[in-house]
Amino acid sequence: MKQVPPQYYSELEQIQAIDFVIVELALYLHTHPDDLDAIQQYNESVKRSKALKRNFEKKYGALTSFGYSYSRHPWEYKEAPWPWQV
Amino acid sequence: MQKGMHMPSWYKTYHPYVSPMDPCPPITTKRYSTPPNLYLGFQPPGLEQFTPSAALKAGTLWKYFYDPYYSTREMKKGVRE
Repeated sequence: MKQVPPQYYSELEQIQAIDFVIVELALYLHTHPDDLDAIQQYNESVKRSKALKRNFEKKYGALTSFGYSYSRHPWEYKEAPWPWQV
Repeated sequence: MQKGMHMPSWYKTYHPYVSPMDPCPPITTKRYSTPPNLYLGFQPPGLEQFTPSAALKAGTLWKYFYDPYYSTREMKKGVRE
């Protein structure tokens, strides 16, 4: 069974980092709705996150299922690595 | 005080009363953590931030709120960042 390459993990960590920034900014913006700088940073982060995810999914397959990611042929749902194996 | 920490330590200490009748050896100073958000109230815009990867590791996006808890044993061994 082919192992995932090492950069799989660094790219995934990048996605996790940018998603964490998005979560933090979203919670901050709940209480600071008119903070323009934070909103701009939020939008930049979302843009970057989408780009990172598109790039990641092109190389390693879907990140999320049920309509959030495109699929290859054949359907890869059962393929390794499963979340606990990542 | 935490060695090597670039910001003020958020710990406060107090000295409990020591009685000759105490069953165990006395603990002269007790330490408790007072997290930074207690001192901030409503968060101002434009606080200094970590980079995304550092924020993921630190657990917060804003440097002001970074308040790692180290046990007294870890404190003695020197703070590991």
